[in-house]
Amino acid sequence: MVGVPAPLKTQGIVLRSLRYAEADRILHLYTPDLGRVGAIAKGVRKPRSRFGGRLEPFFHLHLLLHRGRGELMTVTGAETVAGHPALRQDAGALDAAARACDAVARLFETSEPHPQVFWLLANELGLLDREPGRAGHANALAFRLKLLVAAGIAPQLSGCASCGDAEHLIGFSGAAGGVVCAACEASGFALERDAHAFMADSLGRPLAEAPDAPERALRQAERAIIETAEHHAHVRLRPALAA
Amino acid sequence: MYPQPVERLVTELGRLPGIGSRTAQRLAFHILRASDEEAAALADSIREVKDRVGECERCFNLADRPLCPICEDPRRDDSVICVVEEPSDVLPMERTHEYRGRYHVLGGALSPIDGVDVDDLHIAELYARIAEAQSSVSEVVLATNPTTTGEATALHLAAALRERSPDVAVTRLASGLPVGADLEYADEVTLGKAFAGRRAL
Repeated sequence: MVGVPAPLKTQGIVLRSLRYAEADRILHLYTPDLGRVGAIAKGVRKPRSRFGGRLEPFFHLHLLLHRGRGELMTVTGAETVAGHPALRQDAGALDAAARACDAVARLFETSEPHPQVFWLLANELGLLDREPGRAGHANALAFRLKLLVAAGIAPQLSGCASCGDAEHLIGFSGAAGGVVCAACEASGFALERDAHAFMADSLGRPLAEAPDAPERALRQAERAIIETAEHHAHVRLRPALAA
Repeated sequence: MYPQPVERLVTELGRLPGIGSRTAQRLAFHILRASDEEAAALADSIREVKDRVGECERCFNLADRPLCPICEDPRRDDSVICVVEEPSDVLPMERTHEYRGRYHVLGGALSPIDGVDVDDLHIAELYARIAEAQSSVSEVVLATNPTTTGEATALHLAAALRERSPDVAVTRLASGLPVGADLEYADEVTLGKAFAGRRAL
């Protein structure tokens, strides 16, 4: 007799939720054990659904998933670990959370597990919930820099990524994978000292203690992050802030 | 396997939301067995709805004339506008028989990450309706869905309306427990909102 496969138990964060059919939703989940997972939640849009609002984006959950014949798993159980209610009352924090989840979805789109990415996202959502005022350019970029580290494509910041020179680091080259010196700057764009310091400090501190920087420096840091992701992961990240 | 017109009908029916290939096949055979008049009535109704139904010029609800029946009704209360995401949200509101004001259909919810921005929705038209010289609007009820994008849209509209029209009250539909549901199945965010919005009896 062929047994019914046991449901998979895992934690997960809802990255995205799409309406499907009459009352279902297709969820993009990020899990520590299974990486990115697609799942269907049946009947979840009905007011009497046993899932209630638990399967909305940004919920951190204990999940029971059933693997069927198709590509999508089916959600058969969900318990809240963190619902982030304060984040949901702040337009800036909501937007920052959506962009953080989008960055994770783009950089980590396979089922390869990256538990550190899961916990980084859980920390970011927890931070935005505790302090919605944190939502801003600096926080969003610090989060993205840490994602690049988790993806194994952290930009080189300690010396010229082209020639190794530790002095006169005045530019950034996505192709070279880091800061570049005056002699090698032709391959990149100008990166001022504030932007360089912001990137290095962000990588050296926890998210909750991420530094701030002048807007001009933040724009340069964002360009460096976007070019790094494009050159080394072939991923186009969306802007860290709404236009 | 089937004649080409039947295959085409199955394919077209299968494009409808919630209709899989088996259901599409069943519907196609139902139509084949139906009388010529019944099948023609179905085809005509689809053609008519596409030819004649558009958006209301004022509220963007469905309309087969310049204005929808609700905007044309002189008995409706002009002082309240209920803002919903889609035309399909109007009917459940009407079924409550609790609301006698006007509507404004946004055409979706804000989701910059999916490319849905302020300019993609009928938000400027809402501001214009409220700012009209002869406007008597005193309340805007934000009835976007209690989803993440619906809440984000409500927060955006509330902030913008407070700035543009400080004399207009902005309210949000209450969130809470569905009537007849058990507390033990309620999720924490919904229950928290129900608790925050409790009222004296």
